[in-house]
Amino acid sequence: MVNGVRLQKTPSKASWWRRTLGEWPAVLFFLLPTVAVLGTFNLYPALYSLYLSLFEWNGLSPAREFVGLANYARLLASGEFWNSLRVTLLYAGGVTLLALALGLGVAVLLNQPILGQSVYRVLYFLPVITPTVASGVVWKYLFDPTQGVVNRGLLAVGLEGPSWLSDPSWALAAVVVVGVWKRVGFNMVVYLAALQGIPRAYYEAAQLDGAGPWQQFRHITLPLLAPTTFFLIVTALIDAFQVFDLVYVMTSGGPLSSTDVLGYYLYRQAFRYSELGFASAVAYVMFALIFVVTVVQFRLSRGGGQGEG
Amino acid sequence: MKANWLKAIVTAALALLSLGTAQKLTFWHYWDGANGQVLQGLIERYQKEHPGVTIEAVFVPGGELLTKLQTAITARQTPTMAISDLVAMPLLTRSGALAPLDDYIRQSNLNLADYFPGPLVYGLYQGKRYSLPVSASNLGLFWNKNLFRAAGLDPNRPPRNWDELLRFAKQIKEKTGKWGIELFTQGGEGTTWQTQVYFWGAGAEFLDANNTAPAFNSAQGVRALQFLVDLVQKEKVAPVAPWGLFGRGEAAMVMDGSWMTQFFPQQVNFELGAAAFPFAPGGRPATNMGGEQIFIFQNADVATAKAAWDFINWFSSTPVQVEWDRGTGFLPVRRSVANDPAYRAWVSNARPLMRPFVDSMAFAKPRPPVARYPQISDVFAKYVQEALLGRLSPKEALDRAAQEVTPLLR
Repeated sequence: MVNGVRLQKTPSKASWWRRTLGEWPAVLFFLLPTVAVLGTFNLYPALYSLYLSLFEWNGLSPAREFVGLANYARLLASGEFWNSLRVTLLYAGGVTLLALALGLGVAVLLNQPILGQSVYRVLYFLPVITPTVASGVVWKYLFDPTQGVVNRGLLAVGLEGPSWLSDPSWALAAVVVVGVWKRVGFNMVVYLAALQGIPRAYYEAAQLDGAGPWQQFRHITLPLLAPTTFFLIVTALIDAFQVFDLVYVMTSGGPLSSTDVLGYYLYRQAFRYSELGFASAVAYVMFALIFVVTVVQFRLSRGGGQGEG
Repeated sequence: MKANWLKAIVTAALALLSLGTAQKLTFWHYWDGANGQVLQGLIERYQKEHPGVTIEAVFVPGGELLTKLQTAITARQTPTMAISDLVAMPLLTRSGALAPLDDYIRQSNLNLADYFPGPLVYGLYQGKRYSLPVSASNLGLFWNKNLFRAAGLDPNRPPRNWDELLRFAKQIKEKTGKWGIELFTQGGEGTTWQTQVYFWGAGAEFLDANNTAPAFNSAQGVRALQFLVDLVQKEKVAPVAPWGLFGRGEAAMVMDGSWMTQFFPQQVNFELGAAAFPFAPGGRPATNMGGEQIFIFQNADVATAKAAWDFINWFSSTPVQVEWDRGTGFLPVRRSVANDPAYRAWVSNARPLMRPFVDSMAFAKPRPPVARYPQISDVFAKYVQEALLGRLSPKEALDRAAQEVTPLLR
């Protein structure tokens, strides 16, 4: 999908096929190991779960009942599903936008020649390589209403913090904070690389024309970062749509389903409720959503995002 | 030289082959750490006493066992026998993959009447018994004697009913500023199985007698939930907060499991008391129960299945169970174990806090053995949370929960 964008027009498709015919056996031979592994461990399970989504099955009973599209109908009629979808969109939107803005801010700052630049870069990148489960556990402590650092800090400035993960109005915000914390470093690194690719001459020319720092940022940096921004948005959204481990560790989808993201909803159906057919339907709906979001983004970016993907 | 080697190899191969004709049983379980070692010790002794029988115990992490059994059953590659958390038994008994044990039980004269009634509820399906309980745990009251003292309460007298529980909790909040009691408010099965104890203690039932309809939205059920909501909303002696306040000395009482009689003493820096959980005035003593069940798979051949049963029968016998419970700290599933002098002496000396939990086995109730229990539990917990947060009245919350649970029981 990504690479298909830049297919050169070949003189004639038929002749190309004919010309390369002799190479196909060799090509297939060399592809075989990859195809076999991907086929067995990725493609077959994916197709099998599509098949399973047409059945009602608890994973144990000898009989599976063919129900056609009933699982999908049940899914679309379920309030829990729509809640999960809403929560997922909020989470994905929140994490993507906040981490994008913060990542850009940090990257611009750390692109300046400041003391301890590389130390800061490492510090900001650390959360990215910290295992999610470990981070979740530690943040759970930080968000503890009485003992946690967060609320103690708030108390120090005279604010009484909520009981974050136990409060349906705050739990999702707390999880988003951790999601952002884990994402910022990655965005920063990618932005830094892109920033360093912008020729200094542009800024010098702008200065000669009398452009201030903000104008330079607005009219040089931002537009030239657009392809990077696009790449970061796509990957962040795909990532955030599939969030599971963070929620599993921090809130188990609660309180009152306020953090019940689709990934956790799917897990509950499959592994807590043993509703394997229904869970497969959830997985395919998730797949369709991510697919649509990605296609829409690529369409939208046709104009501006050249050379990225 | 070479010939000698060959000979040795052939002999060894023959020896291995002859072993192959002996009984080899595979046994999947999730008992780790000390529990796994006790099991291994018992298995080794059994093998010594029963030459020709080899039991290969395979440890599978607790969270993965059911998934692994599902895969094994689908692929028809089951072990000879396995254990499971009792909550998963309804799924397993309905799978058609387990062997009924009734004939074995009859032939071995295993006295089921000696078992506590609670754990026996699991493993029964359509009049046949597919599993036997081999371990148990239950819930009781722990209290912080230091906080009781600081509040001017008798540190050696736990509350005996809800009136006292509330009175004590208020006094603790007033005198020490600490929470009176900690509730599990974080949802899921943790909330459900604690809340059930209050419901049963008020005389409410969770489902009807046939497990075909919700029964928790009765007057007694509403009364029980109202009591919990009052603790949080009206009296403010219990918070809606992450679990762990009691262990840190921030709450004076808590409902927790028999296993904590082992862990709390190592974790807390205050004097501990333990008692059966108090119930509603006019209600009845009640507690919830966990544990494991053991079963044999259908597709073992007759001789192997018989050998597996012989092991289960031995493992279930009173003397072995006494040893098992002493080694693991699990609660007895048989009265003869609970009343065994050696076992009682061990509890008094090594685990005095466990005494009330052992005694509570007599009235420990099973969670309803229905296939969709995990879903029902999540729905119930969600509405308990709604009530605790003051978003729905107890009656409204339970009625709505009942509405959502009803289709899950079909």
